[in-house]
Amino acid sequence: MSGSIVVADRDHAPPGPARAPGARATRWRRGLVGWAFLTPLLAVNLLVVLGPSLATVYYSLTDWSGLGPATFVGLANYRKAFGDPDVREALWHNIIWLVLFLLVPTALGLLGAYLLGRVRKLQMVFRAIYFIPYITASVVNAAVWKMLLSPTSGVAYQLGQLGVPGVGDISFLGDPNLALYSVNFVVDWHFWGFTAVIYFAAMQGVDHDLYDAAEVDGAGSWQQFRAVTLPGIRPTLVFMWLMSIIWTLKAFDYIYIITGGGPGGASDVMATLMYRKAFSEYEAGYAASLGISMTILTALVLVGYQVLRRRGWET
Amino acid sequence: MSELSAQHSINRRGFLTGTGLAALGLALPGALAACGSSGGAGTPSGSAGGGSPSTGAGSTGGGSAGGGSVSTPVSTSEGGTGGGAGTPSGTVTLWMDIQGDANQKYFNDNVINAFHTAVPDVTVKVTYYKGQDLRQQIQTALQAKSGPDIVRGPAATQTIAWSNAGVLADLSGYATTYGWADKLDPWAVQAFTQSGKIFALPLRLDTMLVYYNKTLFDSKGWKTPTSRSELEALCADAAGAGILPMGGSNVDWKAASEWYMSIFFNEVAGPEAVYQALTGEIKFSDAAFVDSASLLQSYVEKGWFAGGANDYFSVPAAEVSARLGQGKTAMLPQGEWFMSQMGTYFGSAANNNNEWDWMPCWSLGDKAQYPTYPIGIGGSLAINQASTNKDAAAAFLNWYFTDRKAALQRMADVDATYNIPIPIKDGDLPSSIDPRAGRLITESNKAIDAGNYGYVTWTWWPPKSDVWVYQGFDQVLTKKITPKEYCQKLADTFDAEKSDGTIPQIIKRTSS
Repeated sequence: MSGSIVVADRDHAPPGPARAPGARATRWRRGLVGWAFLTPLLAVNLLVVLGPSLATVYYSLTDWSGLGPATFVGLANYRKAFGDPDVREALWHNIIWLVLFLLVPTALGLLGAYLLGRVRKLQMVFRAIYFIPYITASVVNAAVWKMLLSPTSGVAYQLGQLGVPGVGDISFLGDPNLALYSVNFVVDWHFWGFTAVIYFAAMQGVDHDLYDAAEVDGAGSWQQFRAVTLPGIRPTLVFMWLMSIIWTLKAFDYIYIITGGGPGGASDVMATLMYRKAFSEYEAGYAASLGISMTILTALVLVGYQVLRRRGWET
Repeated sequence: MSELSAQHSINRRGFLTGTGLAALGLALPGALAACGSSGGAGTPSGSAGGGSPSTGAGSTGGGSAGGGSVSTPVSTSEGGTGGGAGTPSGTVTLWMDIQGDANQKYFNDNVINAFHTAVPDVTVKVTYYKGQDLRQQIQTALQAKSGPDIVRGPAATQTIAWSNAGVLADLSGYATTYGWADKLDPWAVQAFTQSGKIFALPLRLDTMLVYYNKTLFDSKGWKTPTSRSELEALCADAAGAGILPMGGSNVDWKAASEWYMSIFFNEVAGPEAVYQALTGEIKFSDAAFVDSASLLQSYVEKGWFAGGANDYFSVPAAEVSARLGQGKTAMLPQGEWFMSQMGTYFGSAANNNNEWDWMPCWSLGDKAQYPTYPIGIGGSLAINQASTNKDAAAAFLNWYFTDRKAALQRMADVDATYNIPIPIKDGDLPSSIDPRAGRLITESNKAIDAGNYGYVTWTWWPPKSDVWVYQGFDQVLTKKITPKEYCQKLADTFDAEKSDGTIPQIIKRTSS
């Protein structure tokens, strides 16, 4: 029996007789039991999340190398961040990353999910194949793609050797104009299988009668997808977009492993910039201010999501 | 209904029992951790035994793998847990950045176990990390007053930042007790000395070399170039034959550009100019340094170096090295530490019949005489200020740096990996050493004695300037900034850091 039934019982129960004298004590005990179960997790979170978060807020207001004592400098780090061209460039890269990350995995995921729904045989095999990149360690994926994108031995080079024009000398990771998009391609490849499986699961929940009705009305596949499937999985779509935005703001691992933010900062995002400031340039205080700024941005996104949700945009 | 019943069925006794178990669950990890630390398994506190009775006299001398003598102090000037009195004993921890089973086995057998044989009362527990991760891990741990007892630190300028933060112990007392000044190259120790405090010991003598495919050179009748004109003639010749003159890449090591700039600063502007800039007599914005960056940029743009900027940023290092072994690349400027990997790309291991050798860096201007070796220190060993068993950690450092026979044997066993900066004369090295590795040690020592040395950026430049050397040059290669702007920002950054006192004591010019 699910927990929702408990809630339903409570919400829709008819007014009963006057409460027994022990009812308040029972409620209190129930609450206490709940808190008792929550306390360990809360304690851990207070220790590993709240503590470092408060420390980060403090250090963002200091000149701190990452070691030793910190000197309070007020909002100087934040003022510096506003005028820092590296920050502007990294933030712009985050925006590009966001747009691509919202569009490509979503489009591929929806397409994959839709096609999966049409497959009767070997459906599980396809789902597993789609999912494999997602469960493979990012370090492994990144190392493989570094080789595949090598200009002297990678896929494009081999195609060039076979006579395919215009691809043989492309340097996906070395060209500043391509590096960010190339890494994003790898991340999209890694991620789209996950979105496909999530959307596929959501599509299974869409009432099949709606498709039958649409078909009777003469709707084609595209019209069914647009008018039935998309509205049917809207909560999942919105949630995945929200998560994608949050993941975008903290994008780090693939970029760090594949290009390290290079060449010459061409694929730097805020997270890689923060890392470099903190651990290479001994500007941990400044890096903390960048981290807090990104947290504020993320919080604004969450607030926006909640506002839209309350207005019924999600359903 | 059943779920509701289940909720209601929790009575006071059940609740108290559950709460008690939860509390026990919370307390248990802490208790176990406390037990762990008091048991001394991997942490220094409980095992320190600082000031334990001297039972380790037998640990001195004669027992090391190399058969060398190791002195153990009767007392030290540094406080361990017990105030520093007594023979070192107990367990200390060390985090190292050695990768690969064979390399780790060598370190276990010839360093850790050999030390245990020489100093049985002290146990060193080593944990291996990936190279690029280690510095960050240690730095974070040091800040938390935790981490290993023996600190595998970066080069001097980075380690100064740790010392300034007060997380490294003062080794001066141990240096006096053990007489390190007589056993290590003084200039290398001075690089890790600030305001009279020795905060680390120099781990490896670094220099930049040019590896080359000897078989290819012989077949083409090429001589190893020594000057700019000879180098450029060879580059034109090689490029004309479809051979990449100089390999290079920053794909697997983002700081690789500083290797190349260390060569070009010293071989174009000259070591004297570098010395003057590092001591504040001239600026890094001077034309000599702009010319250095411009020359390297021009070699990249011509495709002589790395095959161009795009390849420099995208061809993995293993592929660059493999092409050297295959004869598709003629030369590879790299650090001496790379020598231990050369065998992977040549001969039967790489399915080719080619041989490799190395040459000193070319002199690229009239300000640098040939040969000039840009020298520095690759990493350091220090003691954690938070360590509760500094005496035992110092005993390990002492053995590592002063058991001369064991140290020389390690130099012979693994090419250019264990080259600690100690005075070495001709004939000191074991005959089993690869002649190319032996020549590196003797030639670089001779160069230092003769004053034919320059300065690598990762030892002598302050931290932010050092970072800018490679990050900024990457921007030069992507044409985001010009060489002049690059050098101007280097000068500005250096000036700002100079006033912070984060510049190590620099090895002086012998003529100055």
